[in-house]
Amino acid sequence: MHKRKQRIADAVIFVVLLVGGLTMLVPFLWMIATSFKEPGSLFDLPIQLWPHHLHWENYKRVLTAVPFGRWYLNSLIIALGLTFLNLTSGAMAGYAFARFRWKGKDAMFLLSLITLMIPAHVLIIPLFVILSKIGWIDTYYALILPGLFDAFAIFLMRQNFISLPRELEEAALIDGATPWQIYWKVALPLAAPALATLGTFTFLAGWNSFLWPLVATNSITMRPITVGLAVFNTQFSTEWTVLMAGLSLATIPPIIVFLAAQKYFIRGLTLGSLKG
Amino acid sequence: MSSYRRFPWLFILPSLVGFLAFNAGPIIISLLLSFTKWDVFSPLSLQSIRDSWIGFGNYVQMWQDPTLHKAFWNTLYYVLVAVPLEILISLLVALGLNRDFPGVKLVRTLYLLPTVTSIVAVGLLWRWVLNPYVGPVNMFLRWIGGQLEAMFNLVHLHAPATIHWLATQGPGWLSDEHWAMPGVILAAVWAGIGFRMLIFLAGLQNIDKTYYEVASLDGAGPWHQFWYVTIPLLSPTVFLNTLLALIGGFQVFGLIYVMTGGGPLDATNVLLFYLYQKAFGIFPPDMGYASAIAWLLFLLLFGLTVIQWQLRKRWVWEEA
Repeated sequence: MHKRKQRIADAVIFVVLLVGGLTMLVPFLWMIATSFKEPGSLFDLPIQLWPHHLHWENYKRVLTAVPFGRWYLNSLIIALGLTFLNLTSGAMAGYAFARFRWKGKDAMFLLSLITLMIPAHVLIIPLFVILSKIGWIDTYYALILPGLFDAFAIFLMRQNFISLPRELEEAALIDGATPWQIYWKVALPLAAPALATLGTFTFLAGWNSFLWPLVATNSITMRPITVGLAVFNTQFSTEWTVLMAGLSLATIPPIIVFLAAQKYFIRGLTLGSLKG
Repeated sequence: MSSYRRFPWLFILPSLVGFLAFNAGPIIISLLLSFTKWDVFSPLSLQSIRDSWIGFGNYVQMWQDPTLHKAFWNTLYYVLVAVPLEILISLLVALGLNRDFPGVKLVRTLYLLPTVTSIVAVGLLWRWVLNPYVGPVNMFLRWIGGQLEAMFNLVHLHAPATIHWLATQGPGWLSDEHWAMPGVILAAVWAGIGFRMLIFLAGLQNIDKTYYEVASLDGAGPWHQFWYVTIPLLSPTVFLNTLLALIGGFQVFGLIYVMTGGGPLDATNVLLFYLYQKAFGIFPPDMGYASAIAWLLFLLLFGLTVIQWQLRKRWVWEEA
């Protein structure tokens, strides 16, 4: 009797979860369906759930009206650039905080942790003002270089280096290696898993960043895909079939990448929760 | 080697430059600007900041600005509805998915799809999903309304006006002053639960299985195990997740920008969006006032974190 009750409860939970899961999927299906419908047919009654014929002209229109390829490339450059900065300058500083001792080290570390408390939006106005005065607005410099200092990356890498055994590094020191050689040849390879996770998270955050690129770009060719889409939204605000074709082009490749590398993404995302 | 005892210039330099140029410097400038009526065409110098200095003028102006007040209450509305919904639903989903059944991985992946979609794409997608005439949400609501109305007709009763409205019309969502914020919240919750669920799942998987074995030996049923083992041991994760959701909620921007543009009639104008409007959406931009809004938002977030931290002692179970 008890067993049976348990089994019914399990079945109910499963159905509820599945319905919830499908709710996650339906908007995407609706997007794809709309993107193949005949322009101007959307408000005809009865509403068709799936197009009778696949209308590719929406995709043709999008690809000729806006530089999608360029937006993708920009997003890629920005995300890779930020990832590179985090994995170099962040990891280096993390190593210094883990293995070196100098006067004022604790104060410096505390200071960098405090910046985690300052939300990014406080920085947007002064950064915009400074960078526009030196003519960097609408360049990759403005989009990438502010990531040179990242307290989260430093903190994460420091924790990771502290947790690594010192013996190998000490052996290298006795063999006469310089600190830089030890870092590069001994410590960094041991930190590879942490680097991979930090890299995935930074890449995702960079790919999805919106507010700063919105502020820091103004020409159509410098936009990343997020900003491109938002502006595109105003440009085609009522041409839903075209809009959904563009949206499909923008969302489906990342989803495929996600499905292929799900394990790393999930690790990166969970880790990123520490950052918020 | 205990440690290297000199300042590691080579290792620290890139971060130090970044810190001074892109963090510390801008923070000081932002603070200074918030006390000025500085205009973007004058140079960024101490002289021009001194010339445009107005003391607490911007902060006084915030006190009297009805749009800012509206943005403040809208932000609070958004946070107080979206965050509890997100936390509650994602916790339930995580509890349901924290077990082994065929297809569990696939279902988990479904919940994560919105998480890997950028928030701009989510907003754009939901503008269409929430279309009052042909969007699937209202189609579904009309169907439910129709069924309810038919049930009333079956027993020869007149259906209440709300049901008739649901069956024939439904909410106007983003174009309706009262439905715009619920519409944005719907999209936000849809997009947010996957990520929250992931954190809860990680927390659940960290709970030592022996606790359950011991509880089970002591005769605790599933309900007691949930209440006396899962909930206390998960409370640090609930705390973290709630805090992060609150902080994120106060900084909602992308969805508002794409879905409503703060409208209709400022019904969805939130603090960060108002800041953006003041700094980048009007001409000439009011950088001083926008900076003051940024610091107001910072103080709100800071206060919130401190309060949460204090409350933490009351309800978060910690291993001694």
